[in-house]
Amino acid sequence: MKTLRDRYGIVGVGETEYSRGSNRTTRAMAVEAVRKAILDAGLTAADVDGMMSYQNGDSTPANWVAPDLGIRLNFYMDVVGGGSSTEALIGLAMGAIEAGMCSTVAIFRSMNGYSEFRIGGTGVRAAQPVRGLDLAQVPFGMRSAGQNFALTFMRHMYEYGTTSEQVAHVKVAHSKHASQNPKALLKERVTVEDVVGSRWIVKPLHLLDCCLETDNATCLIVTSAERARDCRPRPVYVMGVAGRVNKPRTDFHWAHGPITRVAGHYARDIVFGQAGIGPEDVDVTGSYDAFTFTTMLQLEEYGFCPKGEGGAYVSSGTIELGGKRPNNTAGGHLCEGYTHGMSMVIENVRQLRGTVDDYCPGAADGVHTYDYGPGRCRQVRDAEIAMNLGWAMPPTGSALILRR
Amino acid sequence: MPQPVTYRGMTLVVPDNDSEWKEYFEHARQHRLALRACAACGLLRYPPTHACPWCMALEWTWREVSGRGTIYSYEIVVHAIQPGFKDAAPYPVVLVELDEQRGAPTPDEALRIVANLVRPDFTPEDEKSVAIGKRVRVVFQDLADHLALPQFTLTDEPAAGRVWRLPG
Ligand SMILES: [Zn+2]
Repeated sequence: MKTLRDRYGIVGVGETEYSRGSNRTTRAMAVEAVRKAILDAGLTAADVDGMMSYQNGDSTPANWVAPDLGIRLNFYMDVVGGGSSTEALIGLAMGAIEAGMCSTVAIFRSMNGYSEFRIGGTGVRAAQPVRGLDLAQVPFGMRSAGQNFALTFMRHMYEYGTTSEQVAHVKVAHSKHASQNPKALLKERVTVEDVVGSRWIVKPLHLLDCCLETDNATCLIVTSAERARDCRPRPVYVMGVAGRVNKPRTDFHWAHGPITRVAGHYARDIVFGQAGIGPEDVDVTGSYDAFTFTTMLQLEEYGFCPKGEGGAYVSSGTIELGGKRPNNTAGGHLCEGYTHGMSMVIENVRQLRGTVDDYCPGAADGVHTYDYGPGRCRQVRDAEIAMNLGWAMPPTGSALILRR
Repeated sequence: MPQPVTYRGMTLVVPDNDSEWKEYFEHARQHRLALRACAACGLLRYPPTHACPWCMALEWTWREVSGRGTIYSYEIVVHAIQPGFKDAAPYPVVLVELDEQRGAPTPDEALRIVANLVRPDFTPEDEKSVAIGKRVRVVFQDLADHLALPQFTLTDEPAAGRVWRLPG
């Protein structure tokens, strides 16, 4: 297995405020996030010569963002993509550097996902004519992400006996984590009863099973391990990366079952093979929570529990701070805000540095209380290896393993 | 180019150069559910794509299927996203596994189609009647002279295997 294990690192992270009304352009937000990440790394504009972004016609391209900060690019690429693009672009940035195209790459995602191009599929997007492959589902009232994924979740309940109460624990855990995150949109802790008592959106999804449409920009900076060691923060190295990995028949993935199987089935051997570790070696996970179910499906598919036992796994306390392997310690898309996956990698970088931005007075210097009460600490003690499980759709996903 | 069809606030477009869907919907307009069959290996496929996913052959013919199948999964849309569906909610969306070619060419594969589960008058079926395992047959909802949507409705046949619906 080809591997670049430990030869590249993530040296800078940054984000704007998470809001539901940024009142500014995606360009302005991207500039702020990229600038923060450069400063976080202890670099200057002259040190960054590569830039990548992903979007769906809802953002500003890299070649408009870089000049605002005085960055001259040797390489840039804006790709069409949503969830699971983060991890894939980290791998592509490593490839661009490995090929000698550039030396340091800033990856950003900027979107007014609430106030402008609503991620949930309402607004301008709902008014577009229906043609091509969309004819296979949109005329039947199936357009939003929740509507697209619910068939998978329902079949999982049928095949494995998974319950609404079990997956509600994902929201419960992430809300606990968000209560220790000053940046989070929703800081209030919720209970299983709150989740299953919230109104139905598309059965089997309740309102609180769904993530939060958010305005924000986020940025990660990738460079070689040699340069990473000269940057200001403690280096965080890439052990393995896979993405965007697909099931067969991705155009209409229900054709190739089991439909309860997700892309991680194909991605896990790639990413664990590169890293030379297994699920049991991972201290922290960031399993994409577009919905409570997506976190559960990916955790089981990557082998953190046997296939079909995801409901028991996510409701066992394992994924909560204080548990054996906390997931989405910043609150994730369900509570912190929706970033198309970027925030979950940013959080894992901070976890491995030991400098999570919680309410501990000494957090910036890595001094934490490890008191997981509301409004306190969310640093995982001695986190050494973190993993991200990126989700686009049931048949498409990415994965990333980082170590300190 | 055929006139776009307005249905539930959506504009449905099947232009003359839509080499995937034009003929599929021409069959549907005549109330026939027809799928592409590979001229080389004979396997049926849906959606109507241009190459055979199993042998890459580009040649195909249309083959009518029975339109009978089993509900493989479903969802109930309670909060409609599309404005034209607001008055239909709650409405069921079903994933129907057709009787033809189940478990072929590998055990995990089948011909599965997304549609609404409807009553004979094409209103949404009562959600309490929707369950995985129930038997269905295709019906065609005429939207215009030149466009009909394949939908599914419950039949009196005994269920196929275990019948299950979301509790509550
Ligand atoms: Zn063939």
